[in-house]
Formats: sequence, C-alpha cells, structure tokens
Amino acid sequence: MKQDEILLSVQKLYVSFSTEDGDIKAVQDVSFSIRKGRTFALVGESGCGKTTIALSIMRLLPAGQGKTISGEIIFENQDLLKLSEKQMRRIRGNKITMIFQEPTTSLNPVHKVGNQIAEAIRLHQNKNAKQAWADAVEILRKVGIAEPEHTARAYPHQLSGGMQQRVMIAMAASCKPALLIADEPTTALDATIQVQILNLLDRLQKEIGMSILLVTHDLGMVSEYADVVAVMYASRIVEKAPKGQLFAEPCHPYTRGLLQSLPRLDVSAKRLEVIPGTVPEPLYFPAGCKFHPRCPTGQKNKRCRTVEPELREVQSGRYVACWYAPGYEKR
Amino acid sequence: MSKQAKETTRLDTSYGELIWRRFTKSRLNLVCLIFVLFLFLLAVFAPFIANDKPFVIRIDGKLYFPLLRNLQPSDYCIFLAAVVVLWNVIGRLLPFSVPLGLRRMNHRNTSGLGLSVAIVSVGAVLIFVFVPRRFDAVDYKTMDACGKATGAIFAFIPYGYARTELASRRQPPSSRHWLGTDDVGADVLCRLIHGSRISLSIGFVAVGISVVIGILVGAILGYFGGWIDFVGMRFVEIMMAIPVFFLIITITAFFPRSFLNIMIIIGVTGWTSNARFIRAEFFKLRKQDFVQAAVSLGLPLRSILFRHILPNAVAPVLVNATFGISSAIFIEAALSFLGFGVAPPTPSWGQILSLGVSTSGRFLWWLTLFPGLAIFFTVMAYNVVGEGLRDATDPRLSKVA
Repeated sequence: MKQDEILLSVQKLYVSFSTEDGDIKAVQDVSFSIRKGRTFALVGESGCGKTTIALSIMRLLPAGQGKTISGEIIFENQDLLKLSEKQMRRIRGNKITMIFQEPTTSLNPVHKVGNQIAEAIRLHQNKNAKQAWADAVEILRKVGIAEPEHTARAYPHQLSGGMQQRVMIAMAASCKPALLIADEPTTALDATIQVQILNLLDRLQKEIGMSILLVTHDLGMVSEYADVVAVMYASRIVEKAPKGQLFAEPCHPYTRGLLQSLPRLDVSAKRLEVIPGTVPEPLYFPAGCKFHPRCPTGQKNKRCRTVEPELREVQSGRYVACWYAPGYEKR
Repeated sequence: MSKQAKETTRLDTSYGELIWRRFTKSRLNLVCLIFVLFLFLLAVFAPFIANDKPFVIRIDGKLYFPLLRNLQPSDYCIFLAAVVVLWNVIGRLLPFSVPLGLRRMNHRNTSGLGLSVAIVSVGAVLIFVFVPRRFDAVDYKTMDACGKATGAIFAFIPYGYARTELASRRQPPSSRHWLGTDDVGADVLCRLIHGSRISLSIGFVAVGISVVIGILVGAILGYFGGWIDFVGMRFVEIMMAIPVFFLIITITAFFPRSFLNIMIIIGVTGWTSNARFIRAEFFKLRKQDFVQAAVSLGLPLRSILFRHILPNAVAPVLVNATFGISSAIFIEAALSFLGFGVAPPTPSWGQILSLGVSTSGRFLWWLTLFPGLAIFFTVMAYNVVGEGLRDATDPRLSKVA
C-alpha cells in the first residue's frame, strides 16, 4: 500500500439546514483529502461544523429537517453522497467506522460489550457466533484490556469511561477499517486516560494501516498525533497545513489566536491571550470574512468586511483563507 | 467519580435485580404476584386438580390410568408452554443463574426468546398431529361406588367441568359441592378452576397479539418519524376514538363464538396504547448515541430497531401488558356474561356468572358471587403487579417514592 495514495477526498462540501428562522449554513465550501495511513485533524470550536462533516462522511445526518447537502465525498472511487442506503451500510462499520465523544452513552446498556463487538464482526466478516465472539475477545485484548474474556461478558455500566472508550475503539477497529473517524474521542475522559487512548489509536493505526480523521478542539492533541491539520471557523476551513508548518508559523489570524491562547512551557506569560468577541451565530454570519469582527486587521479593512476570502494555496501544501496572509494575493 | 460513588453496594447489581428489590419493597405487590403465580399453576394443572376421571383405578384386577389417558392435546400444549415459560423465567429474569443451559448461549442470548416461541409452536403442531383426542364416557365414579372397581384415586375435586348431573342441579354450596352446582349440575368450583385456563390464556394471548402489533407499528412510527409518523398516529388516534368494547361486540357478532376468535379480536383491537408507548420510547431513543453508533457500524435496520432500541424501550410496554391482561380477562368475562363469549360447555368465569341471573327466575347467588370474586381478585392482582412494576421500573412515577 502506498502511503501517499489518497483515501478520501471531500470536494466543495456544503451542508445546510433550513429552520423556521432561516437557513443554517453548517458547512460551506469545505475541501480536503486524507491520505492512506495518515491522520487528518479537523480543529475548531464547538458549532463550527466539524462534527457535521464527520457525520456527512458517514451519511449519518438526520434525514428530513430541510437538510441540503452538496459536493462530493470520494472514497475508493465512489461518491459516498450518491450511494444508496444499502451500499452505504456495507461501507459503514466495515470500511469507515466512527467513534463518538461519549463512550458512556455510545454503548448499548442492555447488551454485553462482547456481543456488541461480535455483532459487527458477524455482519461484516460472515463469521459464525463462536468465531465472532473469539475475535471480539481478541480485539479487546488488542486495545489493552487486561482480562478480555471477563470484560467481554460485562455490561457497559460495569466499565470505567476509559474502558468503555477502549471498547468503542475495539468495535470500530474490529473490521480493520480503512478510515476511522474519531469525533472528539477523548473529550469525556481524564487527561491521563486521554493520552492512553490516543496512543492506542496511534498503535492501531500503524498495525492496521488505517487513516484517521480526528475531529477535535484540542490543539495539544493535534500537535501530537495529526499529520495534516485543518482549522475550521464558522463553517469554513480557514487554514490547512501540515502539522509542523501550522504550529511553527500560523498564517490565519484565527489560528494564531488559538495558538496564543494555549499555555506553553517555554514561554512564561502571566495571562494567556484570548481572542476577543465570540463565535458568530450560524444564522447571523457576518458579511465578508467571518472572522473580521474579531480580527485586528479585519476590523480596519473594508475588503475583509465585504468580500469573503476563499481558501487558496499560498505555499505547496499550505492553504489559507485570509486577504492579508503572506503570499495570498500573489497567486 | 460521583458515578462510582453512586454504585454503592455491588457493582454487579443488574437492572433486573434492582427492579426486583424495588418491587418487593411492598408486601401487597408480593402477595399479588404470588396470587398471579398461584393462578398460573392452577390453570396449568387444572386437569389434575379437578377431574372426574381417577388417576388410578383397578378394574377386574387390571390397573388403568383414565386421567392421563384422557388428557387432551390442548392440555399437553399448555404443559409444554408452561415448561418453556418457567425455563425462561428461571434462566433469565431471576437474578441468580440456573445451570439449565439457556445461560450458555452467551453470544446470542436474544435468540432465546425466538427459540422458545419456536419450540412451543412446533411442539403444539406435533402434539395436535400425534396425540389422539380421546374421550371415554365411562362413569368411573359409579363404578367405584357400586364396587365394580377398586383402589380408585380421584383428583382433589372429583368432578368434570363438562359432566352434567341433572339430579343435583342448582344446589347451593354444600360439603359435596363446595361452591354449589350450576343449572346442569356441574360443580362450580371445578368450572371455576378450568375457567381460569380460558381467562388466563385469553389474557396472555390477546395481550401477546396486541403487544406484537403495537411494537411493530410503534417502532416504525417512532424510528422514522416525519410524515410516516404523522399519518400513522392519525390512524392510531382514529382507532383509539372507537369504543373498543362495542367494536368487539360488533365483531363477535360476525364470527363464530370461539375461544380463538375472541383472543384475536381482543388482541387486534387493543394494540393502540402499546403502539403509543413504543413510539414514544423509540422517539426518545433514536437520537441516543448508541443508536448512532449502531448505525455507524452498518448494522441492518432490523437489528437497530429490534436488537438495539427495543430492549431499551420495552419496560413501559411490559408494564402496560399486565394491565392489558387484566382488561382482557375483564372483557372476556363481560362478553361471556352477555352471551358473546365462549360457547358452553367450555367454562369461563363470565359465563358462570351470567348463569346466576339468567336461568330460572331465582337469583342463584353462588353462581354470581364466586366467579365474580375470581374476576375481581385476578384483575386486581394483575393491576397491582402492573402498578408495582411501573413504579419499580420508573421510580419517578411512584407516588410514595
């Protein structure tokens, strides 16, 4: 398997929900691609549309409710948005799987965890109940559960949050997926468990060779585990770059603000920087660049207030959407 | 942290155990549950308790077993069903495990229910095919009395429910007939015991039918929502607007008076409340993370609806079902009282009750009082058990809390 092959490519994805108050534009003009065996991180504040993207890829967005979705999500040469529900079911859980933020509520309280894992294995790998159970125990061992035979017989409420998330990961990894979508996989966990879970994901990634789409608001996590990072703000990707470059010299003022608001060991500061203002409501996005009301440059410039910058490549592999980013105008 | 602290006593306290503990807090609940179980046993073993055939009898030096010989295919079916039900109750509902084999089916324990249903239905077909329908009209009691036979051991109540003794008709309670006799001379106690079979099986089967329909309709309406739900719920509301009892009377007028028809009619008219309960639960549960997780694993709709959502949604329906059983018993009694119920000589509580007032000019109080009490206590016991279950599964609804 070539490492650089593109596994999933999202092109010009738009998602909106029409409500009684107006259209909520949850995702606008989002394009990115994930390479095989790599980790792509989507970073942003709550409500910026990153989970919507994850759910669009899984085709899990709630039906009805005036949802409109356009663009392309190409996975293994087919557009996921055009597949029938039946075809999609063969991809879900088999080639693309997802783990959720809250392990406590993501496991079915009435079934033993072993059964929950075994059901997915039986379905996608055509194994009988006994084999699937053995596989479930094996995968539980793989995700670092000490007594897998015992744990497989436990009900979710008998496990701790970290254990539950390990079970979720076991379930997601049981069919050796090509892509694992991790939607804030560690938000509900303690800091020490977070590291364990992320190390586990990292290890599984190397073993299985899967790609990971990491959806998070935790920049610390991104700096450790991601290969490519896309920063989202108010439904758009504002900056996309390989991890090293993004952290070394952020181009978009929002990314800069985010990085400055992180505590750092090497710089002593009395107070952390904050980005002034709040995230705009999806119904009342400002005209022009959506970040301009909170941006020192943007407030001063008419162009920022009136015309929205699109995402452009400023160096090879670096994309940014800001009129005043270095190299933005030249190309 | 707080979650761990909350699970104070034992980590392995299962949901069932918790419910059992809350349920048994009230003495009345327990008494009524025992009464329900008692009725269940009475109904299952009715032919052994009240029968005019002796267990054993010696005629001309040869031993005969007329009671066993005269068991009908339906009796065997009831035994089979009872064994399977008991097996399941012991193997799964009770908190402790019993080495009966059901627990062994670890990684597919949901198929246990299907297996039970399959065993009962296949068994019933086989029984009806292979067990002959015997009926000997020999009067063993007279034989025993006039010395033709010896060593007869009769059942506790040595009367048959269909045996007529015109000489001793309409007798008030006495030492011979503890609860008196009806207008053809059959023993009322015997008919009450055999009538419990009719009442209970009508209760269970009718509720079973209505629960199955309710679950199917409710699951689809609740899970899909949208216009399917809108149209479906209007239909349910139309069904609910029709007074069920009069609907049932109307329908029974078109069909022959049979036990099976009455079960089906009560079942297919009573599903609306179950559908509403299930719909509400599915509505709530379909947005839960574990349902999303199940969808994201690519599980088929059938599995999502019935394996993942339904077990979490079924508690209110089970509670409703106990009320359903009592109301089905009540409806059956009312139908029989009005003469739309099962046809004699099949005994039913409502039918015995009606005899007290309708035949002859006299008011035969024992024909009205005893079946009336039986209906009253049974309906009350089921209602109390249902209420106890409801409070145990959802403590927020409990008034005492």
